[in-house]
Amino acid sequence: MIRHLFRLIWNKKKAHALLMVEIWASFLVLFGLGSMIVFNVSNYVEPLGFSYERVWAVDFNNNQDTTAMQDKVNTILQRLKAYPEVESVSRMSSNYPFSTNTMNNGVDYKKRHVMSHFYTTDADFAQTLDMPLVAGRWYGKGDLGGKYKPVVINRKTQEALFLDENPLGKVFGDFRVVGVIDNFKAKGEFMTNAPAVFEMIEAKNTWDKIYLVKTKPGTDAMFEAKLVKEMSTMLVGWNVEVNPLVDSRKNQHNLTLVPVIIFLIICFFLLINVALGLFGVLNLSIAKRRSEIGLRRAIGATARQVSWQFVAEIWVLATFSLLFGLLFAVQFPIMHVFDLASGVYIGAIALAVAIIYGLVTLCALFPSRQAATIHPAVALHEE
Amino acid sequence: MITLTNIEKVYRTSTIETLALNNINLHIGQGEFASIMGPSGCGKSTLLNIIGLLDAPSKGGISVGGQPVTSYSDQELARLRNQRLGFIFQSFHLINDLSVLDNVEIPLLYRKQISGTQRRQMAQEALERVGLSNRVKHFPKQLSGGQKQRVAIARAIVGRPEIILADEPTGNLDSVMGNEILSILQGLNTDGATIVMVTHDEAMAKKTHRLIRLFDGTMVGDTTLTLC
Repeated sequence: MIRHLFRLIWNKKKAHALLMVEIWASFLVLFGLGSMIVFNVSNYVEPLGFSYERVWAVDFNNNQDTTAMQDKVNTILQRLKAYPEVESVSRMSSNYPFSTNTMNNGVDYKKRHVMSHFYTTDADFAQTLDMPLVAGRWYGKGDLGGKYKPVVINRKTQEALFLDENPLGKVFGDFRVVGVIDNFKAKGEFMTNAPAVFEMIEAKNTWDKIYLVKTKPGTDAMFEAKLVKEMSTMLVGWNVEVNPLVDSRKNQHNLTLVPVIIFLIICFFLLINVALGLFGVLNLSIAKRRSEIGLRRAIGATARQVSWQFVAEIWVLATFSLLFGLLFAVQFPIMHVFDLASGVYIGAIALAVAIIYGLVTLCALFPSRQAATIHPAVALHEE
Repeated sequence: MITLTNIEKVYRTSTIETLALNNINLHIGQGEFASIMGPSGCGKSTLLNIIGLLDAPSKGGISVGGQPVTSYSDQELARLRNQRLGFIFQSFHLINDLSVLDNVEIPLLYRKQISGTQRRQMAQEALERVGLSNRVKHFPKQLSGGQKQRVAIARAIVGRPEIILADEPTGNLDSVMGNEILSILQGLNTDGATIVMVTHDEAMAKKTHRLIRLFDGTMVGDTTLTLC
């Protein structure tokens, strides 16, 4: 029967060409959307690697003031630590978690080259963000002054640079590895877990003035106001801005989710259009094929078989369209387009195929049931 | 073979009730070639549909091979139509998007036990039987009316049914083609098939073994004919 239906659809290919193009185009759009969704979902399920609740990023802008900067950045740190509401403080570069800033650098080891995110942080960073180490330790003040700068890397950097070697104590460029953490997705859950290197902030560094302040549980906005007021009084001419990481995280999520949601809405309307088109075409086709339906019933088809035939025909039609679509879609994982993992594209293909089959089945169900109710004696005598 | 007892068929709409068949009692025996005649609207096609189990009577009983079928399910009726009945229609009812061979194969698609190769072979044989073995790859649009009806006959006989029901098989054909179709039907009858044919053509009807006349839904004549 399947072969019969393939032959029937193939012989009607000219009549079905537009419908096939419509299904093909829907598949491609769904494949695009599916790739975005699969990519983001697979990122989302990867652990973030740190805790952000109760952590504020306090940004100090010295404006025109350039006097005694080293003293001032240390005073800020000591003052912040002195608050009873504060649990821990860490100073770092402007690419703090969920910020929009990024710093990348290439690192090399034994002819292996990796592009890595670089974060300049102090000894309290891991404690402030509750980042567990999987090997070694976080750097401390005692690590400064040596020939190489102490760094902590994440597992992605370890895998890319050192493969199966133990990374602890290894030197690459000016850096010596003292510890390894697991994940670090600074831009939030939707970010790819990319290679990261944490470099220890140097004493002469006065330009990185982001302080990550971890507050004690129950600390409210009153403290935020008090902190801003006191700091502004202490640092005349400076601007102080507090960004709770919870809020920054939401902004980062919006940057990822808004395009996906817009694309989803467009796709939804496109699919409704396709569904209505399919539904109309099938209804018309059944009206045109009443004689055939009558004949099939007369020569031995049950009502159920007639109904199934129309569903199966639309599956065959969808299969032809999907085969053409797949020819295009499989190029993405083969050619590693956009440098995404093959699994993302394969997942997107599976998702798009499932949605297309689901959609065509849904559209075919009602018309096919209508076809099954056509009385053969009536249908055969209509001409 | 087929027995109709006190058959009545009423078509009802919200405003009107039409009695299409009234108290029909009929037995079609094995190997018979019966024709049904009557003016337009007298119920010939309705009677053929009821004999062919395409329509259910409002009253009365039908039995096929001694087996009452009135209470059969859709699935059982479909199986019975597929295995024991063959249909030929005035307007052929061929599927234009399928080749001649594919059209002839259709009844066998609903028999699970027949393989694709067997189907092809049986369809080829049926087409040979009607003299169209050289047209297997043609499409219905490429055939004349007579050829189309021969394809329809091949489709009706491909499953080797015991009973062939023909609804005005020569109605759309000229007399030469009509005679050709009738002689094929006669040949099938000689080989053992039971044939019931609805016709308007008195001359065609007289070439069958039995002539059943209908008028206003009632059977007004049932004559056994002697062939010259």
